[in-house]
Amino acid sequence: MFASVRSATLLGVRGSRVDVEVHAGIGLPGFTVVGQPDEVCRESRDRVRAALLSCGLPWPTRRVTVNLAPTGDRKSGACLDLAIAIGLLAAQEVVAIDALANFAFVAELGLDGSLRPVRGATPLVLALTDRMAVVAPENLAEAGAATPAQVYSAKNLLDVVECLSGRADWQCSKSFDLNSGQSTSLNRDVGADATALNSRDLADVQGHPVARRALEIAAAGAHHLLLVGPPGAGKTMLAERLVGLLPPLTDDEAISTTMVHSSVQLESPNAGLIRRAPYRAPHHSSSMVSMVGGGTALMRPGEISLASNGVLFLDELGEFAPSVLDALRQPLEQGIVRLARARTSVVMPAKFLLVAATNPCPCGEGTPGVCTCDDAARARYLRRFSGPLLDRFDLRVAVSRPNTNELLSPERGESTSEVAKRVANARQIAFARFKCANSALTREQLDAVAPLSKKAEQRLRRELEAGHLTGRGYHRVRRVARTVADLNGAPEVVDDAHLNLALMMRVDLASGLRSRELVF
Amino acid sequence: MSSILSNEQLAAASLSALPKIGPKRLTTILKYHDPQTAWAVVQGRAKPHVVVAALMQENGLGQMWRANATLSLQQQILGRCKKASIHVALISEDNYPRCLKNDISPPAVLFYQGDLQALATRRVGMIGTRSATASGRYMTSHLAFELAMNGVCVISGLARGIDAWAHHGVLRAREKKSASASAIAAAPVGVVASGLDYVYPKEHADLWRNVAQAGALVSESPPGAPPEAFRFPLRNRILAALSEVLVVVESKDRGGSMITVDEAQKRDITVLAVPGSPRNIASAGTNMLVQQGCLPVVNVDDILVALGLDNRRANDNSFDPRPRLAESDAHVVAMMVGAPFTLDEFVMRTGVPLLEAAICLGRLEALGWVINNSGWWEVIEFGQRYS
Repeated sequence: MFASVRSATLLGVRGSRVDVEVHAGIGLPGFTVVGQPDEVCRESRDRVRAALLSCGLPWPTRRVTVNLAPTGDRKSGACLDLAIAIGLLAAQEVVAIDALANFAFVAELGLDGSLRPVRGATPLVLALTDRMAVVAPENLAEAGAATPAQVYSAKNLLDVVECLSGRADWQCSKSFDLNSGQSTSLNRDVGADATALNSRDLADVQGHPVARRALEIAAAGAHHLLLVGPPGAGKTMLAERLVGLLPPLTDDEAISTTMVHSSVQLESPNAGLIRRAPYRAPHHSSSMVSMVGGGTALMRPGEISLASNGVLFLDELGEFAPSVLDALRQPLEQGIVRLARARTSVVMPAKFLLVAATNPCPCGEGTPGVCTCDDAARARYLRRFSGPLLDRFDLRVAVSRPNTNELLSPERGESTSEVAKRVANARQIAFARFKCANSALTREQLDAVAPLSKKAEQRLRRELEAGHLTGRGYHRVRRVARTVADLNGAPEVVDDAHLNLALMMRVDLASGLRSRELVF
Repeated sequence: MSSILSNEQLAAASLSALPKIGPKRLTTILKYHDPQTAWAVVQGRAKPHVVVAALMQENGLGQMWRANATLSLQQQILGRCKKASIHVALISEDNYPRCLKNDISPPAVLFYQGDLQALATRRVGMIGTRSATASGRYMTSHLAFELAMNGVCVISGLARGIDAWAHHGVLRAREKKSASASAIAAAPVGVVASGLDYVYPKEHADLWRNVAQAGALVSESPPGAPPEAFRFPLRNRILAALSEVLVVVESKDRGGSMITVDEAQKRDITVLAVPGSPRNIASAGTNMLVQQGCLPVVNVDDILVALGLDNRRANDNSFDPRPRLAESDAHVVAMMVGAPFTLDEFVMRTGVPLLEAAICLGRLEALGWVINNSGWWEVIEFGQRYS
């Protein structure tokens, strides 16, 4: 007898459909899985057999072949367990084959026949929208987060059989409606320390007027930000507060971010769509694979994909392996990362806001006269950052240690919610123009929307003539100036003041090393 | 053999290259023997004087020297001197600098490149920290430039920071004088710790060569000697001994500059200090000196007066080419002068809103009143008033 059951496996951050074909025919009793299963997939035979027997369901004493179509792709993981079990039952006519035509099954089986959650429920179910997907109860919320169709669930294999034959009712996910956004599970945070991140408010930051403004500009225009300062200046504290300034994710962003996070880790049972911008801060010992993705046949997404539509914070930028940093360059430019391996190639989202922190020199002090590093040591330190990478930071800000008065001052700064309002406003102005953040404006668009005032033009000319700006730097400064103007309620012309601020927030790290013209 | 060194000089130079032979031991040996006999003595070919014999008994020095005092050492020294055109001046000879001869601990053997005639004028030592602030660097080069223009020889140590900028200032003055075809400015003199063919720090190779060409480079260490730590205090002693007046531009409250100051005070040499803001750590040492009674230097006239070359009426050198500042800018500059500051500190100290602060700094930078180094701003001052 023959049965075909629909399921899906995970590749990168997307599900791909798999048809599980089961044939039970004449021959010596045996069980083979073909169609490029990996080790975990092959082991499903033992899990399925134990699950069937525990539930009092029959195990065929015939020659059984399970084929995972399309056979060309490698299948990975235990998410095909339930489909194989149902296929076996259909081949033995315990379940009617006709009843399966509208269903798809994505779950792992326990030896007692219980349905277990799998990684990547969101993208898996999203690949099966034309069918009624059945998942483990713990996966129900996660699976239903992004799909417009209903998702079904049952406790164990026996319940599934009962439901399929109409003798019992499915457990259903809440009907999902992007527009109403009524579901309580919609606004959730990402990561274990999500609640801790929430309580981090800009009001806690004492002093730092420039760095605060830099955070605001970075959030409003999606400009990458580099914080340079001595240890203890508060660089990490500042960076952690950037994510709170970003507006909630749009529908598309939310779905894409949820898919990435779902495919990496099991979410809590009441997980829903991710609406808040994610924040990732990988340690500087992170490997290339952990940053950009790949690694196994599953092509696991890396930190840059997990930070997509949110903030990627690299503390101690100089301590990261140079190869890892340079691997960021292409995703920074394109907003996606394309990973190719011998067997597969996947595309994953990587549209993140990069925030990095570094000391200005090996001794960490940086302040001329206090720093004890000689020029050679400082030059060597700066060589850790490749020019092209540094060039991608639109905002480079020197952060100094707050003095005692500021630390002890009872006065609190502006709160995150106040600043976020201005950011949202500026973003709205920017998106109304070309449907993109200011950092993504092309040169032609820039000329159209960021005309310079006479004074501002003179200032830029002077910078260019003095050799402080390259051609690329020139356009980047203008983009930042555009954002500054947006934040200051000047939607038309970019003024001298806006431009000056953009220039001040573009510290040239190597300028202290160059000997200048002597003045007499 | 036509040679760069006489036999006497070569013997003395080779003696100075022996291990564990400091300036004191070398002086003792050369006091009781002429150089060639001394060389024979350490080789064991001649009988040492009683004092020298006692010296050679210490810690087996005699054996160590005998093992090292070979012909190949002599040839090596000769080769290195020839290659880098290094000359030797013995204390007994006429080309030895007169100002060193009467010193309390003169080096018995002096190696030099260039022309020691550079020292035959009024001499000012100029020293300071290796990690200087921008305004410290400008002050140094400005003072050195003006001194050289006035015919005063500036002596410094060719180290990083203040030292290098002192030499830069002198070289610039010579360029300018030679261009205007008037009298030549005073020549630069560098006193270094390592051997004269061992450039340290490496990035100063050009400066090293230019100083040797324009003036003189002096060292007590034999050619090929690396810049070992113990050589620096010895170098500082020679620098102090060569100076009539010692100017400290920027210095922390301890370190090499302070050793030079001590050496100068032992010799009763006038020490002048350029005061800085109390906020500026790089000026802690000079401020301490002023506190202890050293006269402050705010422009070149202060140094010239200390040398007895009062020419305040002669010319008007303290002209600042930068345009005068508007009142509000002058106020801001006066507030920020001293230690380097970040934009953060600027906004918090002056209370100027960020956007206006950006315009203000941009304007001051264009006028040359402030400069940005890797994110830190500094006010450039020459000792004149801001308004």
